[in-house]
Amino acid sequence: MSATVYLSEDYRDCLQEVTNIAMGQAADRLARLLDTFVVLSIPHIEILSPADIAMALHSIDNSASVSGVCQGFIGGGIAGEAIILFNDTSFADLARLLNYEGELDRQAERELLMDTTNVLFGACLRGIAEQIDITFSFGPPMVLGQHQRLDELFNPRSATWQQALVTEINYKLEGYNVNCDLLLILSEDSIDRLCKKLDYLLA
Amino acid sequence: MTSGAKDFLNEFHWLMDVLHNIDVGLVVLDLEMRVKLWNGFMQNHSARPSADALEHSIFDLFPELPEAWFRRKLQSVTVLHNAAFTTWEQRPYLFRFKNYRVVTGNAEYMYQNCTILPLSDANGEVNHICLIVYDVTEVATNRLQLQKANAQLHHISRTDGLTSLLNRKTWEQSLRHEFKRFQRYHHACSLILFDIDHFKLINDNYGHTAGDEVIRHTARILLDGLRDSDVAGRYGGEEFAVILVDTDAAGAKVVAERLRTNIEASSVLFERHLINYTISLGIAELSPRITDPTMWIDTADRGLYNAKRAGRNQVVVYHT
Repeated sequence: MSATVYLSEDYRDCLQEVTNIAMGQAADRLARLLDTFVVLSIPHIEILSPADIAMALHSIDNSASVSGVCQGFIGGGIAGEAIILFNDTSFADLARLLNYEGELDRQAERELLMDTTNVLFGACLRGIAEQIDITFSFGPPMVLGQHQRLDELFNPRSATWQQALVTEINYKLEGYNVNCDLLLILSEDSIDRLCKKLDYLLA
Repeated sequence: MTSGAKDFLNEFHWLMDVLHNIDVGLVVLDLEMRVKLWNGFMQNHSARPSADALEHSIFDLFPELPEAWFRRKLQSVTVLHNAAFTTWEQRPYLFRFKNYRVVTGNAEYMYQNCTILPLSDANGEVNHICLIVYDVTEVATNRLQLQKANAQLHHISRTDGLTSLLNRKTWEQSLRHEFKRFQRYHHACSLILFDIDHFKLINDNYGHTAGDEVIRHTARILLDGLRDSDVAGRYGGEEFAVILVDTDAAGAKVVAERLRTNIEASSVLFERHLINYTISLGIAELSPRITDPTMWIDTADRGLYNAKRAGRNQVVVYHT
């Protein structure tokens, strides 16, 4: 495997476009499901090292107001993990958003985090998958740092990869105190396969 | 029959065999929540054959299934065409089934993870829902046992084995914590340090087992007389320490005096011997003149020393 992954301008533009279209579709689906307007940032695409990703995860350990949920996916030789970081998100608002009735204990909070992740992430990845003609299998979402400290969960020094392709999208929901960042992380060995898929669109 | 149709029938047969025999629960529901597929796993675990389940509403079959919650989950499946998940940690089970191993399994019911998938027809419309039910009892019980073991270890590492009072290390953490709180908020806070008078004589006369019983007895009487906010620890062999939060020296003296008289009035029955004993107590109220936690203990220790010197079985407040 090459020491540095290089993503050409063409591929980056193409992936940006694919993600933009997917996010547009996702926003539309989410608006219908959640009955609120979803404000999405323009996806930001870059190649990151394990240390960069560890730093992003670090914010969960260090701040009581940040929670994180991860969810793995795989299909057609492309594998990755989505991590959603909820910044100062109000659980009461999440409950209102998902029409959750019942007491908001810790278990309910966890369920809200997982459901929101599944909904936001599913909506976005589905659009991407359709365009590059892949169907993904999804693992169940997991709340980060619940059973293990994050530095035990992911140690950048022992990572077997050097680079990953990360797409970052910020979500805000109108009228709700919900603000989160979605990191869509594709493993190093998936990038080649993704580029091959993008070739069909570029051709 | 054409050979193509025969092949198709054959294939259909073994596919159905797989669906029915796979050790995972498979349920297909239409949008009215009527059961359309009910595989062998579901039949066996629910004790409901296909004939009883098919075409019935899942909510009629399983009244324990929380309907509002389930419908909300399904909404994201039908609107987003997106799989939804439930894990045993959110909800131990969707269907209340018996544990597979009724004898050696140590869970009463089956822990389940579930995946809810949209099924679309030839036109891409989602008009059925597939429920996949995984038995994760093994994983769940292992994790729960680990959590329990960790909680036990946590308890053991904090307490003294003989008395179940806080051990010295943990108690000293509380002491430092209260000291810091005082520096910030200046709420009154007092410390009682006490030990058993002539403990060595008890050991020499009745043996160490008797000594242990006296220590346990002291801890019991101590705990009986304290409020929830007070922090009692076993400081050394026959030495005990109590932090009294929001209590000045006069208040601590009332507590100490009550403890002293309670111990004096009680006796320990050990192998047909009635052992009577007393305690001596020193008190130090925290003041700005006390500059660190060690000095706080030393101050209370001086009170204790004076109580001993004055003839034991008494309380002395030491003022810095």
